[in-house]
Amino acid sequence: MIENKQLIICRCEEVTYEQLQSTARQHTCSARELKLRTRAGMGFCGGRTCRIALDAIMDSFIPDENKAVIPLKYQPPIRPVSFGTVGGRHD
Amino acid sequence: MTRIIDHAILGKLDSLKKVSFQFNGKSYEAYEHETVAAALLANGIRQLRVHEESGTPRGIYCNIGHCMECRVTVNHQPNVRACLTKVEEGMTIESGRRHPTPLKKTEGLQ
Repeated sequence: MIENKQLIICRCEEVTYEQLQSTARQHTCSARELKLRTRAGMGFCGGRTCRIALDAIMDSFIPDENKAVIPLKYQPPIRPVSFGTVGGRHD
Repeated sequence: MTRIIDHAILGKLDSLKKVSFQFNGKSYEAYEHETVAAALLANGIRQLRVHEESGTPRGIYCNIGHCMECRVTVNHQPNVRACLTKVEEGMTIESGRRHPTPLKKTEGLQ
């Protein structure tokens, strides 16, 4: 991985490689937990830009195999919607 | 305006009908079938919004509608993708603002 620690992996939440690395080391957490802790992959684009990079990076961080195997989920809504449309206000 | 009017392969722009629209209070001109992102780019505007939390400038990234980096407010409708929205006459567009983060102390907050 490029040594540039300030490399931003998740554009929407501005999570850098360094943040991911230190969080993973500190909590030895799984891919999903790393996402919950750093918000990487939870941004406005729904993980479209960074999900693949995140999966790849997390494999390199997480010590044992089976923890890293669960890929990041695709959470609904697949596209950002306003509460107005969800709540049925179609003006 | 910096545009490719006559492309070697794609040929000439079909309709050169001008359309005027407003971005952050200033009015600009674009061609009829252009997207908001392309029209602003042609007018030399690359920054469409700022990161809602840290305020870093943001603009076109994927330009095909799935990275959401180009979201602007069009006619008071927020989070409209500039790269997929065609410019219409008299459109008012506002760029994204930075939101307060009272619960999170971000350094350098004015």
